[in-house]
Amino acid sequence: MEQPMGVEFSPDRQVVPGSPKKDVQKEGPVPKKPDVHKGTDRLMDRMKKVDPNQSERYRQRTGE
Amino acid sequence: MGLETEYGIVRNDLSDSDPVIESMEIVRAYQSCDLTGWLYQEEDPALDARGFRVEGLAQDEEERAFTQSDYTRFFSFREMKSDRILSNGGRFYNDHTHPEFSTPESMGILDLLRYDRAGIEILRLAARERVRLLGPGAALSLYRNNTDYHGHSYGCHENYLLPREIPFERIVEHLLPFLVARTVLTGAGKYGFESSERRGGIAFQISQRADFMEALIGVDTMHRRPLVNSRDEPHADRKRFRRLHLILGDANMSEWQTAMKVGMTEMVLTLLVGSEWEPRIVLSDPVASIRSVSASLRQQPTLPSKGKEQWTALDILEHYWDACQKSLHEWTSEERWVLSEWRIAIDQFREDPGLLADRVDWLAKQDFLERFREEESLSPDDPWLQSLDLEYHNIDADQGLFWALEESGAIRRLTQPNQVSDAIVSPPRLGRPRVRHAIICRFPNEVIEAGWEKIRFRNGVLLDLPLFQKSGEGEISDLLHRIETVATPGELSKTIEAFSGV
Repeated sequence: MEQPMGVEFSPDRQVVPGSPKKDVQKEGPVPKKPDVHKGTDRLMDRMKKVDPNQSERYRQRTGE
Repeated sequence: MGLETEYGIVRNDLSDSDPVIESMEIVRAYQSCDLTGWLYQEEDPALDARGFRVEGLAQDEEERAFTQSDYTRFFSFREMKSDRILSNGGRFYNDHTHPEFSTPESMGILDLLRYDRAGIEILRLAARERVRLLGPGAALSLYRNNTDYHGHSYGCHENYLLPREIPFERIVEHLLPFLVARTVLTGAGKYGFESSERRGGIAFQISQRADFMEALIGVDTMHRRPLVNSRDEPHADRKRFRRLHLILGDANMSEWQTAMKVGMTEMVLTLLVGSEWEPRIVLSDPVASIRSVSASLRQQPTLPSKGKEQWTALDILEHYWDACQKSLHEWTSEERWVLSEWRIAIDQFREDPGLLADRVDWLAKQDFLERFREEESLSPDDPWLQSLDLEYHNIDADQGLFWALEESGAIRRLTQPNQVSDAIVSPPRLGRPRVRHAIICRFPNEVIEAGWEKIRFRNGVLLDLPLFQKSGEGEISDLLHRIETVATPGELSKTIEAFSGV
């Protein structure tokens, strides 16, 4: 079928059985001892950056 | 066991984006897979475990209109689904406008947890690639939650394999009180209400899904959602097995909660299947009760029940724990860990629910939202609190609020990063996924479609895959060696049959 103007539809990508890329995002070590203060500071910094109206704009369609 | 998680998706650089396109494209951006053809032939969501087939599934007017418009789009059903059968044995695809990762069939609790966590990493990798392909300025967010706060929900489904001979009704009747009660330990927390009587209210509750539960039992999953889903798709030998498909649980960020959710449930099912034990509890209205548990937070009420005994959610959990503890079943080390954590959690909740804030999403969330509210002098119904709730579930490691807590150790992590990295690409060492992966790799040009239990080849051969439940790692390795020496797909069936007989 033809694609509508302005929409780029990705083709199915080349399938490479059994040879996926091992491209993993960085992860830190498993925490052993809680450091609540450090966590709280970082958490508060992130919280202040959140747009207060973000959830109002957030719309999804019904899933299962 | 297996978990299926639908993620919320939104483009941050556009004021309005098409969820169908976005879900398709993020799946297609993930380049590592064994196969793109899913075998839909064996699926029938209208088949009911109670022994009949429903004429149609419930859809509301809005969904009906969306579905109609989807049919007129420029792509086919299969293109829209964009299925990816991954090398780790999982499935990544667009399910009802949400990117969904289904774990491979897992034989253990911690194995399942590793694959569930690997699913988050897979979604991250796909998002990164999608943004790269879109070019400068593009941005998208993925949310591991179950609500958009505007009446729409998407799921995190649990699957448990059960012997067919156990009557479905026995499972449902005796599982229901437990399913209602477990909410208190497994809820993800939500700032908002969406049940018809409280819709739009901004206040905190335990569960993201409770408001969307409207029936005790049924085949529907998108509307009139039931506490126990009766869809009869075993994904295994129908004569021997059934699959219990639970759709009422939240998608947790906390690994402890995911492990406990599947661990406790699996143990209760083992108890019901393997013994004559029956709980003394019959809740009068389980649907109302799960909402009551969700809304009552740290002060759990007595739930209306038939009989003279009084039961709170904690009492019910203790009743089931006691039965598991006294059971003669030989629990595995993982299950014994679950039993121990289960007991500790009940005791700590009774002492002070805040003690569980290092492992329970809703308690952690409630704590930090309250601190933030006080610091910023916000009213209890300030919409900012709801936005913070949403951001807790953002899977971006540099933005999501949960990750700041986990990284600091304020929330427990159970998986090892290297094991999760391995789970992104490798199937579990036991069971069917490893065999499925090996066959697809052996005949990359001949396999055209695969599902959980069958593989279809270009020459028309349809191969059945048994579960290999009783096969050890060495036996599976032996089978894989034999598969490598098979010359044609037609020989696979005999090879597997001979092996299954071992």
